[in-house]
Amino acid sequence: MREIIDARGLACPQPVILAKRALEMHKRIVVMVDNAVAMENVRRLGAKSGCEVTIDKKDDGTYHIHMSRTHTDGDTAMASADGITGDTSCHPGQRESFVVVVSDNRMGRGNDELGYILIRSFLHTLLQLTPLPDRIIFYNSGVHLTTRDSEVLEDLKQLADSGVEILVCGTCVNYFGISDKIGVGTISNMHDIVTSLSTASRLITP
Amino acid sequence: MTEPEEYYVALFESISQVLRSEKILKNAGIPHKLIPVPRHISSDCGVCLRFTSNLKKQIEDILAGKVDVIEMRQL
Repeated sequence: MREIIDARGLACPQPVILAKRALEMHKRIVVMVDNAVAMENVRRLGAKSGCEVTIDKKDDGTYHIHMSRTHTDGDTAMASADGITGDTSCHPGQRESFVVVVSDNRMGRGNDELGYILIRSFLHTLLQLTPLPDRIIFYNSGVHLTTRDSEVLEDLKQLADSGVEILVCGTCVNYFGISDKIGVGTISNMHDIVTSLSTASRLITP
Repeated sequence: MTEPEEYYVALFESISQVLRSEKILKNAGIPHKLIPVPRHISSDCGVCLRFTSNLKKQIEDILAGKVDVIEMRQL
């Protein structure tokens, strides 16, 4: 039996939360969503939870995401899932995570022009750090730094190529109307952001 | 990603000179990048402009008389 979750019309992170709950109770679920961002977020949840995921794109623009927990992986992963932390659940005893939070396209407060110089320097210098952060989260005006015409795009791409996961807040991108201008990273949601923040062992913010 | 290109940096007296130069280069459409002054050059937390070596002459010319460049140095 498949559990069907109709998450069409729901704002993020609702589809992810519903999918997560359903996965805790059912082995096979189908999540229906009506936009690509929600589809991507649900797909990632499935991948993280050790599910087999297949996406079925419908003619009306909706997506049916089929997820089934594989016997061993899925069961262990889900069994150790503690509520909201989808991230750590698939790797019990996971190593520490180092997260950088960029909540502004300036560094510090006081002078914007100076702040913009500093944030560019900061992100460039981050490349020289060992170990590199596991993840950089961009939200609020920080998302402007991830656009294709961003002056730090090259640095961010290098970070991404070096294995740093770059999460860009979907709500923020939507608010600023720059969804089609993002040049690096993955459009993410509050669920992933809260999970990343709450499971980080080191968190720095410029 | 970036090929092993040869870079130069232009060093300036002050941040405001860096900004003025950046504005000039931006308006002229000359590719460059604002980066912290590399540690082997100075221990200040200053910033400088980096560009590929082939642009050196062009940048020298366009900045001449407008901004004081302390030095252009190969990286």
